[in-house]
Amino acid sequence: MIYVIFAFGVLMAAILLAIILAEPVIAAGGAAHPSFPGMQVGGDGAARLQHIGMLGFAFHCLLLTQIVLLSMLGVSERYRTLKLGCYMGGCLGLMLVIAWGMFSNHLQYLDTGITGYFMGFPTATAWQLYGTWLGALPLIIIYSVGFGKFIYTAEDEEKFNALLAEKISQSERTTSE
Amino acid sequence: MEVFRQEIIVGAVVAYMLFCIVTGLWAMRRTHNSSDFFIAGRGLGPIVVALAMFSSTLSGFGFVGGPGLVYSIGVSSFWMVVISSIGYALGFFLVAKRIRMIAELRDCISLPDVVAARYGSEAVRFLIAITIVLGVMGYLATQILAMAVVMQAILSGTEMFADVGLVTCVVISSAVLIFYCVTGGIIASVYTDVVQGIIMMIAGTLILFTAMSVFDGGMQEATSIILADDSETIMPYGAAGIMASLGWFFVFGLGLAGQPHIITKMMMNKNMRDNRTILPMSLFGYVMAALLWISIGIVMRAAVIDGAIDPLALPDDAASIFLSVFANPLLAGIVFAGLFAAIMSTSDAFLNIGTAAIIHDIPKAIRGHSVKNELFWARVVTILLAIVAASFALYSHFRDATLVAILGAFGWATFAASIFPVVALGLNWKGASVPGAVTAIVTALLINFITQLAGYAFPYAISGQLVAFTSSLLLFIGVSLLTKKPQLDSDIERVMEI
Repeated sequence: MIYVIFAFGVLMAAILLAIILAEPVIAAGGAAHPSFPGMQVGGDGAARLQHIGMLGFAFHCLLLTQIVLLSMLGVSERYRTLKLGCYMGGCLGLMLVIAWGMFSNHLQYLDTGITGYFMGFPTATAWQLYGTWLGALPLIIIYSVGFGKFIYTAEDEEKFNALLAEKISQSERTTSE
Repeated sequence: MEVFRQEIIVGAVVAYMLFCIVTGLWAMRRTHNSSDFFIAGRGLGPIVVALAMFSSTLSGFGFVGGPGLVYSIGVSSFWMVVISSIGYALGFFLVAKRIRMIAELRDCISLPDVVAARYGSEAVRFLIAITIVLGVMGYLATQILAMAVVMQAILSGTEMFADVGLVTCVVISSAVLIFYCVTGGIIASVYTDVVQGIIMMIAGTLILFTAMSVFDGGMQEATSIILADDSETIMPYGAAGIMASLGWFFVFGLGLAGQPHIITKMMMNKNMRDNRTILPMSLFGYVMAALLWISIGIVMRAAVIDGAIDPLALPDDAASIFLSVFANPLLAGIVFAGLFAAIMSTSDAFLNIGTAAIIHDIPKAIRGHSVKNELFWARVVTILLAIVAASFALYSHFRDATLVAILGAFGWATFAASIFPVVALGLNWKGASVPGAVTAIVTALLINFITQLAGYAFPYAISGQLVAFTSSLLLFIGVSLLTKKPQLDSDIERVMEI
């Protein structure tokens, strides 16, 4: 597992390097608002994504994959079953769909200048705001509902209690000696 | 009611501070030793831990800086908030179980204690303790300064305290903080956190409804106004662009599992099985409170563009001006109390971990044992640490504004970059070695400090924090893979197999 995490980390670093070396764009990180001090503007969105848009999206996808891989790392090796793998794969799939929903709606807006709204925000931003927040819910459900199955089983509890008991008796022996 | 606006606000804040003092006195009777002082004797229930965890996460930055950031750069700053669900989930998957087990097994009272047990290395303990002290100084100074600035703004609105100075406000607010932290240690801290968390959730929810009523067309009208002015600001990557946004996603999302003031709370629950409920409860609380961050920022930006209110002198004024213009006095009172709650709940957590690092971990790393009479020295150092941080905040405010900012860089991002690999990965991977841990911590400190000092900006608004985090993560794994597989103590090895 750690080799896969490392490989994804290297890929992410390579993308960062490619972005750093990409052709620069004016005000890629925003510029001062012409009328209101303290505010920044983004300006030309299409120009800002022209050289690095797909690289940025790839970085986002790798990051989401890394998050699911790290969550898997947090589960004991013997509980990393096919069932858990399917659950985690489903989580990743959902998060990638949300990321794509956000990115594609943004590109569509840059192309057409028209956007719909969902619960107060432009569609692309609604994907980002509600989608990212809710997209991790399956991960939380796996942790909470699957706690006794994947995270800390009755067998784990027995093992830990035995370890504690050993430790206590060992320290009592040391004290009496 | 409008006539008594200022009196209501002052009354709410005073009532809140009195509550903190009473809690400190109550908790003092339950604090008998350093374990009680630092980790509440590992005897806390799930609701207390959940509320303490989320209220420590959302500091004064969330209540003051957050709305200011949305006002300034739009949706870019949403990324720091929406990532909370992933951040909390990852923190529980990677850290919650094993940190709690090692803490009980080795009787650990601090994060560096756990790290030393995991790696069998005093060098790693020392480096983590130093990182914590540096981060705590910056964080604490900014929190104390924020608390004093808000108090001055509130008091100067009354006739009686119209000329109150900043130094007086630093003294008053720090005195309350010190009192309950010294008397009741972490027990006072977590029980005040419970009330602080509830106040923050109520404030966040009420503010959302107030914000939605500012424009006739609700939030959609506000976002439409911003879209017409500059569409990028209200699109998913905001004014700061895609890489700044994803950088925050990375640093705030993964980094949550590296925040010592948050993960230390994972050592305090009475029952391991409580973790299954603590995770969703913490997240729910955070989301409710964070509604304030997003809604105030959006409405204030739209209101200024629309000409409904004058442009703000500073983005950080967004919350206070919103409260004075749009909120009724009672709500303003609750939110200002919530603001103090947010600042104090984070400050008390930092005071606690900073004190543990100074009296327990650094001496242990250097001399092999901590100071005698830890409880007494814990109280003394808590006072001293708060005084030093308050003095530092004042010096920075009046003489050199960059000082706090520089140490502030040793805040979230440095904790994330240096502690995440060592703790979150190290607790789940037997191959993590001491050279890997040392390399990761040193790299994180150096890159964060150098980029901050030099003011270096990477293209496309890639932050130095993102570069530091990516580098430390890769070096941690890479160096560990290249070095000899470590020999773990048998009890630690067995914990890592559970």
